[in-house]
Amino acid sequence: MFEHVLSVMIFLPLVAGVLLLLVPVSRNGVRVIGLALSVIVLICGLKVYVDFSGGGGLEFVEKITWIDTLGIHYHVGVDGISLFVLMAAAVLFPMVFMLFTAKSRAYYCTMLIALGAMVGAVVAADLILFYVFWEIMLLPIFFMIGLWGGEKRVAATIKITIYTISGSLLMLAALVYLAVSYHAQTGQWSFEIARMAVLDLHGGFALLAFFGMMAAFAIKIPLFPFHTWLPDAYSEAPTSTTFILSAIMAKIGVYGVIRLVVPVFEGELARYAVLFAYLGVIGLMYCGIAAIGQRDFKRMLAYSSASHMGIIALGVFCMNVQALTGTLYQIVAHATSTGVLFLFAGVLEERGNSRQIEDFGGVAYSAPIFATFFAVAMLASCGLPGTSGFIGEFLIILGAVKYNMLVGVLAATSLVIGVCYMLWMFQRVFFEKANDRTAAFKDLSAYETLVFLPVIVLILVMGIYPQPFIAKIEPAAQKHIIQMITTGEPALAKNAAAPPSHSTITP
Amino acid sequence: MTDFLLLLPVLIVGVGAILLMLLAAFDNVEKEVAAYGGMAVFLLGFIAQLAVVTAGDISIFANIFNSMMVANTFTQVAGLIITACGFFTCMSSHSYFRQNHFFQLEYYALTAFAACGMMLLTMAQELITAFVALEIMSLAIYVLVGMQRNNVRATEAVLKYLVLGAFAGGFYTMGSAMMYGGANSTHFGNIGEVIAAGGFFDQPLLVVGSLLILVALLFKVAAFPFHAWVVDVYDGAALPVTGFMATALKVAVFALFANFLTLDSGLQAGWVEYLFYIAIFTMFAGNLIAISQNTLKRMLAASGIVHSGYLLVALVAFTSRDFTGSVLLYYLAAYAVATLGMFCALSYLSGEGEKRQKFEDFKGLAKVRPYSAAAITVFLLSMAGLPPTVGFMGKLYIIINAIHAEQTMLAALAIVSSVVSMWYYLRLVITMYFYEAQDDFVTESSPFAPLCTFVLVVCVFAFSLLPLGV
Repeated sequence: MFEHVLSVMIFLPLVAGVLLLLVPVSRNGVRVIGLALSVIVLICGLKVYVDFSGGGGLEFVEKITWIDTLGIHYHVGVDGISLFVLMAAAVLFPMVFMLFTAKSRAYYCTMLIALGAMVGAVVAADLILFYVFWEIMLLPIFFMIGLWGGEKRVAATIKITIYTISGSLLMLAALVYLAVSYHAQTGQWSFEIARMAVLDLHGGFALLAFFGMMAAFAIKIPLFPFHTWLPDAYSEAPTSTTFILSAIMAKIGVYGVIRLVVPVFEGELARYAVLFAYLGVIGLMYCGIAAIGQRDFKRMLAYSSASHMGIIALGVFCMNVQALTGTLYQIVAHATSTGVLFLFAGVLEERGNSRQIEDFGGVAYSAPIFATFFAVAMLASCGLPGTSGFIGEFLIILGAVKYNMLVGVLAATSLVIGVCYMLWMFQRVFFEKANDRTAAFKDLSAYETLVFLPVIVLILVMGIYPQPFIAKIEPAAQKHIIQMITTGEPALAKNAAAPPSHSTITP
Repeated sequence: MTDFLLLLPVLIVGVGAILLMLLAAFDNVEKEVAAYGGMAVFLLGFIAQLAVVTAGDISIFANIFNSMMVANTFTQVAGLIITACGFFTCMSSHSYFRQNHFFQLEYYALTAFAACGMMLLTMAQELITAFVALEIMSLAIYVLVGMQRNNVRATEAVLKYLVLGAFAGGFYTMGSAMMYGGANSTHFGNIGEVIAAGGFFDQPLLVVGSLLILVALLFKVAAFPFHAWVVDVYDGAALPVTGFMATALKVAVFALFANFLTLDSGLQAGWVEYLFYIAIFTMFAGNLIAISQNTLKRMLAASGIVHSGYLLVALVAFTSRDFTGSVLLYYLAAYAVATLGMFCALSYLSGEGEKRQKFEDFKGLAKVRPYSAAAITVFLLSMAGLPPTVGFMGKLYIIINAIHAEQTMLAALAIVSSVVSMWYYLRLVITMYFYEAQDDFVTESSPFAPLCTFVLVVCVFAFSLLPLGV
């Protein structure tokens, strides 16, 4: 089974999700099966994590010819860059099944499909395969928000769908452009992601392709000014969907930039990275300030998530090892901290029956465990030393200062905004005077505490002893950066003879 | 003997049509029996065609019929699609006529005649043969469209289609006459030689002649600026007939279009510049019309215009005969599967006298009939070109083909057009899923249409895994 571990991780939940939709199983039955399957995926993920050698190349590769004439393959593999995004998905999904009672069994099925598609998008090593999973990922989200969302769900669904599909289709054009350029330059068809690094791209169409691809990822992340779908979608979606959107889907957007844009469009990126770096910083500030003004805590968390995505994106565009390592580290840190905050927001909403910050107060007196856990996740999200958020943000800012002093300074100072809205919200919800709503607030049950505990521990461990995690990331990050710098100018001439450096390990 | 085998599918469908017509002469024949007859004819035709395709060993039978026809992989795959369309149309008609009561026994015979004409059309290598095939197809379709005699809209539809279609036929014959005047032959090969020898734009008769023929072909595929009829005609015709027209007819005419346009590189190069704009306008005109529609049939008709636009993109961005030919057929198959499936599902869901027509009539369908709603969603996603459906692969090939032919602009516009088209496809999905049901959606249908819908859903996914056979 472990020979095809990645395929199992993709297709087990995907196929099971579709089958469970068709077969009449009870709601709880589906929930149990879903939990079991997501735990199996987690076990596979842990197995991959443990066996991962960290050499910088693709591991666990599977390659089957799909469309021979165009060089399209079913080709999956993991390297240091995808490993952490993969792990974030594998670790966080079981929590959804453990914690939430959905209104309908179909919800669990769509969740499983989302899991399979997200794993697929992360491990795909072929452009078309990546695109297929990237789009399948949207379908469950579409139904989750539209069927089980809040009052204004239909408008939010239309907004997110039109936004992301327009981005995706632009990306499709860019992908095809890459493959056709590859055919023009080497005389053979290929859609393999790693091979695109040898391309020597210049001219108007290359620039269009670059912006087309960036548009798709900027929408998914979302990068300022493409973030306008986010507050509606995040606050109208059911809590666990928001969790998936913020903790995993947004990260796949960042991952896409690192995987598809950075190695391929070196020339364009060298010219325009500074623009996107500033967009990241502006997003960080703008969404942070917007978060201060929110009265609805789910909406506030939505803006906070967007604000932190700004700094994660910034790490990519600084294009040095520190920043890239920081970004990859922060992907996991943000997924655990902000993701868990959304889950906590769900708990607050369910038990307090409101999403308004002003309706709460004094929750900490009646629910101390909940308040403690919330505080840990919140502080990690603010980047307090000793939590996972610190390491990532520190590395990114280090890289940003190295890249451009002004960007670095702006990013570092803007982080204060995050502390502002978080602590102020925490004060208003958890302290101050208790009211009728919060006096009888139920604390986390023993079961819930056990579910949340590993993630809280992970946040602390990643903050106190980050070395083992960084050791897994760094070789790949280094390789990525070196490749980018060296293949920047005479790309084709040098790499045409030698096989592309990404795929040193092939079956 | 090989020649006879290659022609066998056409013969089966043609003879089957005549037998079905004879069957209709008996008074006491049930409409079910006629439906089974129709299905049998198309199934036999399909199997024969499949046998021919899989037998390999493709020979072009230039020596019979004085080289008026060819049978190569291209025409045979087109034949496969057409017979399959006919088969599925018969299946959905069986259910449709349980709830709609204007059936006449000749219905299936006419469907078979139309299919026979379509198959001949794909093989035609000569202007007069093509005209005969075109008219066999068109006449049968006219009758099918107007079969519901006491319905005002059907009458309007058939009148519009007949008059305009006759005009298009007139243009075609006029064009053929001029081509003959210019090239002294009606055979594609000979015309190609004449153009190659004398240069295309130096022979005014050929230029005008080919222009007139192109007008007729553009009319038949509902391309801009000859697209206006399609919405009303689709709206007036019975659902299975609309499905058949939208798919099989388009396959046949596009096959002829490709054969005619590529008969010589001079002819193709001469018109490509104009077809470029026609393709763009077709995509966007179709989108604009589709967005404003409130009934499903009209929306699907307008979306058919958009898909014609994508197919024109493939014709404009011509790379090589093999590659573009496969891309064209793959897209046609993809489009046919989704569109037929859509009309098939509608032909049992629309109920007595097609009473459910508008978008809001399908509110909450997913709550009452989840499987049907899921099937419709799959077809819509395929038409919209989202993976992992066959529609996505079709669109992917069209885009690869276009960029490969250095028509990057056209590829980009095709993509913009698919973004726009997302709106009206998703609108139906949203209507079906995100509202409460107001209707009980009880239908009195035979199991055939649901079965056919299911088979087509499977096809949507199965075909997407099939590699492009270049």
